[in-house]
Amino acid sequence: MAGTFWTNNRQTALAEPHPQAGMRRREGWIGLLFLSPWLLGFVLLKFLPILAALGFSFTDFHMLRPEQTRFIGLENYLRALTDIGVGGSLMGSLGYFLLTVPVQLLAALGLAALLSSERIFGKALLRPLFFMPSIIPAGAILFIWIGFVDERAGWLNRLVMEPLGMPPIPITFASAIVLFALWSIGPGFLIMYGAMQSIPKEIIEAARVDGAGPLLRFVSIVIPMISPAIFFSLVINLTSAFGGTVLLDRGYLFSRSLSPMEGYINYMMFNQFELGYAATLAWVMFVVTMSITIALFRSASRWVYFPEEHDDEEI
Amino acid sequence: MKRFRLLKRGDESTLTFQLWEFTGSALVMLFVFILLVTYLFPLAYMVTTSLKGPQQLQDSKSPLTPAARVFYEYQGKQLPVYQVPTEQGLREWALVKGGRASSEFVDPRHPEAGLITWEGSWRALDYVYRPEVTFDNFEYIWGAAKIPQAAQNTLVVAFISGLGVLAASIAVAYGFSRFRIPGGKWLFYLLIATILIPDSITLVPTYFLYVRVLDWNGTQYPLIVPHLFGNAIFIFLLRQNFKSIPRDLDEAAMLDGAGPLRILVSIILPQSIPAVATVALLHFFYTWNELRVASLYLGIAPDLRTVSYSIQTIQSLSPSPAVLQAGALLAMAVPVLVLFLFQRFFMQDMVVTGTEK
Repeated sequence: MAGTFWTNNRQTALAEPHPQAGMRRREGWIGLLFLSPWLLGFVLLKFLPILAALGFSFTDFHMLRPEQTRFIGLENYLRALTDIGVGGSLMGSLGYFLLTVPVQLLAALGLAALLSSERIFGKALLRPLFFMPSIIPAGAILFIWIGFVDERAGWLNRLVMEPLGMPPIPITFASAIVLFALWSIGPGFLIMYGAMQSIPKEIIEAARVDGAGPLLRFVSIVIPMISPAIFFSLVINLTSAFGGTVLLDRGYLFSRSLSPMEGYINYMMFNQFELGYAATLAWVMFVVTMSITIALFRSASRWVYFPEEHDDEEI
Repeated sequence: MKRFRLLKRGDESTLTFQLWEFTGSALVMLFVFILLVTYLFPLAYMVTTSLKGPQQLQDSKSPLTPAARVFYEYQGKQLPVYQVPTEQGLREWALVKGGRASSEFVDPRHPEAGLITWEGSWRALDYVYRPEVTFDNFEYIWGAAKIPQAAQNTLVVAFISGLGVLAASIAVAYGFSRFRIPGGKWLFYLLIATILIPDSITLVPTYFLYVRVLDWNGTQYPLIVPHLFGNAIFIFLLRQNFKSIPRDLDEAAMLDGAGPLRILVSIILPQSIPAVATVALLHFFYTWNELRVASLYLGIAPDLRTVSYSIQTIQSLSPSPAVLQAGALLAMAVPVLVLFLFQRFFMQDMVVTGTEK
């Protein structure tokens, strides 16, 4: 609505002496000039390396004997098809995504809604406190988890289960992943919290007057209004499952990646030194990740409320 | 429920209503408090573990908090003190001579009373502990990881790459938010897609570019230069924020003859201070904790190592959980301090919804 208002304004401003087309073209060039740092970085550090990796994926490039590299066609891809490790780690990454993303989204959403409550004071202190575990280094987290859930000497057993007279909870890898995920909700939480603060109070008030209870207001106003924040959290959670750019680095070494597929590729790279085959696997993962991304974007137009995208479509 | 609603709509000063409000707030605060304590448990674990000495870590019966076993010096010998059940209740006695069926103890409070013979197996007895905190783990990490030098290295990298990533991301976000670029929508989708490109696919080619072509192995350039092209996540956050600033002001400035750069600096940026500060802080946290790139390119340059890499190197040499947690706490200390100092700006007023204010 604000967008249309602005567009009208703007068209009257532009409709004066200049021919509109020339002005538009000039605006486009200036815009591209502003985009140039990212475009240059994209070509140099993403696009060309991805192409180079595609080239490597057709060779038997080995770190210890790079001079003997030969073109071997699709051999690496055929090998990937029969490699049990590939299927297992791909499924592992997908499972990791399916396990952590709902947990993280719900936890971040719930925490953001809770801290948005008017009944809470000391928010200035509570927000950084809830954010803090998200910057604990990865190496420490692993040992915290062991110290926490160890069946004999862990805190969970000694402080909770033993006094209650219950048997110790056995260690499972899934519990580690869920705990890691819960201790990483910081950025998602703050983004959703910020989005909730920006919802105009009048809308909520109007719904209240119309008799909508807290739950109905949350589901039918708050969630749609913050859907871009939810989408953004989904994207950053997806990167942690497949190993893209991370928002907050916890300090993972390549060999300690939590994402099974990335871990397998890094194993091929740093332990087996088979760079050609690693490039093939990276390409397989790239295709899978991009398919999920495209599917997400397709779905986004149905459930993500982006009011400003309307002006882009007018071009 | 119905009555509450009636009260809420009508007479808000009723005592019942106030009581209800107060109990509600207290319950919500209590819930938040319990949640916070549970959520911060790992930190409590880190702190207590980092303050423990090496003996306690091998002793699975020891208390969860940092503690040391109590010894009593008797006739020139250090005797371990046990909790001994007697007919008068639990006594804390020092073991002089242990036997299978009976042992000899001395009561540290009344050593003049001489040896006490106690029937039972001393092996089944529990030790006596007293709280004891050691800072040795921190001292060890501080020295071994050369923290002052490493902190200086990290700050240099964070500062230069931070300036670069801010300048580039602000410019690109401005381009995306204010200009009608042909295909701009698709470029924006491409930007989001680049966030999701796995690192593994660009790793080997960029490694060859940095090491073989540019000869940057053992330098800080690989930690800095990629940031000079901006960061897709930051561009996204800033763009959403710039979009939420009403355009009336830039329209007015444009009619007054201000150029695009002028509008960015004097109109957009002053209204986006929280967003820019958030991005700067996120970048700082990122650089401080970053380990992969640092370990790839600074392995041969020990004097240039960043804090997290330097600490990680020491941790990998020492398997002690206490040293590990002390190192993690040292690595975290600066980001946490910065988080609390700047929390007023951090993620405040961050708008990802794109609704115009």
